[in-house]
Amino acid sequence: MTVLAPLAAVLALTLPAIVALYFLKIRRPTRVVPALHLWPSQIRDRQANVPWQRLRPSWLLFLQLLAAAALVAAAVQPVLPAGASLARHSIVLLDASASMQATDVTPSRLGEAKRQVNAVIDQLGPSDRMTVIAVGPASRIIASVTGDRDALHRAVNGITPSNGAADLSSALALAAGLVRSGDDARAYLFSDGIVQPLRSSFAAGLPFPVEYHRVGVSGENVGLTSLTVRTSAQTRAAYLHLQNFGQQVRSVSLEWRADGHLLDVRPLTLPPGQGQDLVLPVPSDATSVTARLAAGDIFAVDDTATAVARTPRAFKVLLVTPGNVFLEQALRLRSDFQLDVIGPAAYHASSAYAMTVFDRFAPPLLPDGPFLIVDPPAGSSLAGGPAVGIGRVRAVDAGDPLLANADLQDVHVARSEDLRASTFGRPLISSLQTPLVLVRDEPFRQVLIGFDLHESDLPLRIAFPILMQNLSEWMLPPSVPSHSFHPAEPVTIVPEPGATSVSVIRPDGSRRTLATGAIASFAETDPTGLYTVEQVIAGQVQRSWFSVNLFSDSISQLKPPDRLTLPPTRAVASQATHRGQLEIWPWIALAALAVITAEWLAFHRGL
Amino acid sequence: MAPLLEPALLRRLEALALQVRRAVSGQMGGERRSNRRGQSVEFADYRNYTPGDDFRLIDWNAYARLDRFMLRLFVAEEELPLSLFVDLSGSMDWGKPNKADTARQLAGAIAYVALAALDRVRLTVFAEGETSGGAPSRGRRAAATLFSRLQSFPAGGVTNYEKLVWPIGRQRPGMTVLITDGLGESPLDPALTALQRAHQEGAVLQLLAPQEITPDWSGDARLRDAETGVEREFTATPLTQGSYVKALAQRTDEIERAAHRRGLRFARLSTSEPIDEMVQITLRRIGLLS
Repeated sequence: MTVLAPLAAVLALTLPAIVALYFLKIRRPTRVVPALHLWPSQIRDRQANVPWQRLRPSWLLFLQLLAAAALVAAAVQPVLPAGASLARHSIVLLDASASMQATDVTPSRLGEAKRQVNAVIDQLGPSDRMTVIAVGPASRIIASVTGDRDALHRAVNGITPSNGAADLSSALALAAGLVRSGDDARAYLFSDGIVQPLRSSFAAGLPFPVEYHRVGVSGENVGLTSLTVRTSAQTRAAYLHLQNFGQQVRSVSLEWRADGHLLDVRPLTLPPGQGQDLVLPVPSDATSVTARLAAGDIFAVDDTATAVARTPRAFKVLLVTPGNVFLEQALRLRSDFQLDVIGPAAYHASSAYAMTVFDRFAPPLLPDGPFLIVDPPAGSSLAGGPAVGIGRVRAVDAGDPLLANADLQDVHVARSEDLRASTFGRPLISSLQTPLVLVRDEPFRQVLIGFDLHESDLPLRIAFPILMQNLSEWMLPPSVPSHSFHPAEPVTIVPEPGATSVSVIRPDGSRRTLATGAIASFAETDPTGLYTVEQVIAGQVQRSWFSVNLFSDSISQLKPPDRLTLPPTRAVASQATHRGQLEIWPWIALAALAVITAEWLAFHRGL
Repeated sequence: MAPLLEPALLRRLEALALQVRRAVSGQMGGERRSNRRGQSVEFADYRNYTPGDDFRLIDWNAYARLDRFMLRLFVAEEELPLSLFVDLSGSMDWGKPNKADTARQLAGAIAYVALAALDRVRLTVFAEGETSGGAPSRGRRAAATLFSRLQSFPAGGVTNYEKLVWPIGRQRPGMTVLITDGLGESPLDPALTALQRAHQEGAVLQLLAPQEITPDWSGDARLRDAETGVEREFTATPLTQGSYVKALAQRTDEIERAAHRRGLRFARLSTSEPIDEMVQITLRRIGLLS
């Protein structure tokens, strides 16, 4: 045992002082009483002002000495060595993602992780520091390099779980940013191990070791992993997939609702590890459909799925081209596009179109809205430099969502305008010679393709319709998204022309107001369920919807991995750790309080 | 010197009288029924005439009917012998109002009631023993002398109730009133037993100061006994004060039980009560006065 405040031992001088007070004798005033024999023999020294008297053994003296000794013992703050080995700077990565809401441990995985983190906080020494990072879809630092235990406890206890996935990479990046070279730091990951794969950039390692503390035991879960509404010529139907991720046969009951009204209840039995697809009816006037599993399992987030049942609102799109069948066909793939095709000579500016596509033509005044322009002719404001020969093309960022599923391996471009000097926006597709495709977000989402599609084999590749779909959905998202969003995933909301207010009503009924006049990215989508976008246009309220669901097999499988692949530790100058400390002064102080109470009782009982 | 009792109080006292449960015989005539036959207007009995009887008492109507001399006898009216024993020991010289002063006034009031009724009053002031027996007083005029005697005795000394046994025992049957605080260390029982044996209709009046019924101080003190001067260190806490109050109540209860066992009246009086209320309310309640 060691003490944190040895100087407080000076307070032990109070013990001989108490004894000295008992040596002193009281000067008592004389009182004449009629019958002394009726008064009990009760003498106690309450004041000492005359030296000296013989020290009498007394329970009160004993209890006072004991209380003073206990208070002195508490004041020096003794500590016991505790179990964990701590670095001077402990970085706690507390997983607060969706899977941590599982209740296979009491009260939940997150609750158990908080308990473990609080235990580590209690073991911090006086010179130790701790940083707490909540790991979720957007990791954040909730306590930064502090030794204040109360603040750390408050920060940890205030963490609430997200419905999103755990982005461990961003959390580790945050942690790495807090550690300076040569720091004695160590990270502790309290998680169920269900995290997104680490980015390749961590292969080089981190300047501190990471300890994985597994939380959770079970993977027994039945969840809904997909719900889509398809519209055929005659009917509309919902396609639902549910999956038993556990090792036991599960019998569940599925409730099927449209706009909250119960349509059907189906009992289902799922063998272990097996899934089941269901086709469910959708009423023609339904806005949304909801499937709910009355499973009573350890994970509730994936027991409910919501889908928008409305057909998308149509957008009017204008294609201005001397003739481009590839482009026209690619745009017609969007079922919610009403495409008008005109020649350049017939073009005149119109606000009736939500998006305009210019092919080898640029009007003097570009429209104030989303547009895509292909190979702008020389002399126009967006035209690049003289044409240069191009060979293979490449993605500037392979992870860019605009290039999702678009394979550019076999795409070639013969010639392109030189866009190196263009200030249009950021490059999306490039070559060794010049950027080929530029995109920009402001003031509206707009795309510039620097080459004539006929001078490329891109339109012949499967990547072309995919790229056009990605670009058109980015510039003009469908009023009913073709898919469900994941929790905490940003949703693009395009205000209608003339909208005076745009707001989003979340599943819990809370309303968020967005700015009008520009495309907004709405990221407060952590709660799962149906979101309603309300736009007021000329006094009329126009609604659109999107849904947020977990729909993640990797999260719903829930079984914590025994081992977690973590970044290696780079060689660091020193990695000295020390045992954690458990302060026991609160218990000693409590004991002192008990002794003082006993002394008070003894005094009043005349001991 | 201030008068012992206010003239207004004396006038009110004249309306009262000592109440005896049985007739007693005194030495001289008075206003109280005696167990003797004598001269009064209250017929008692007949008896045969014997030579030497006062023939003025012969009932001539009876003689006419019976042809025998019959004497008419009447109830004698005599004085009541009242003995007042007043404790003026050191413990009585204590409290606000002072217990000894109050005891003097109380004794004076009872004595005045008796003197006004032509009863014989004998005053005895005691502490360690019989301090002053004094001559008996009779008649309202003797009140002033008796009052000045009461005021002339200083308080002091140690209470010793055992020394009361002899002076009580030599009294003629009558009424005895004992005024004391009952706090002496010696037991009160022998004196009460002596009262019973001397055929005394008695009353024990325990007089306490309010400060000793409920102590009004706390903390550390050196206690000094008012009678013996013995000292002892003491720390007064709510608990120890409670012990004292309990001991005092126990002592009072013992005296009351001992008095009632011997057919004596008992009253506990506080010096905070005015004399008028003590006499008019408390002493009437216990049946000492009427």
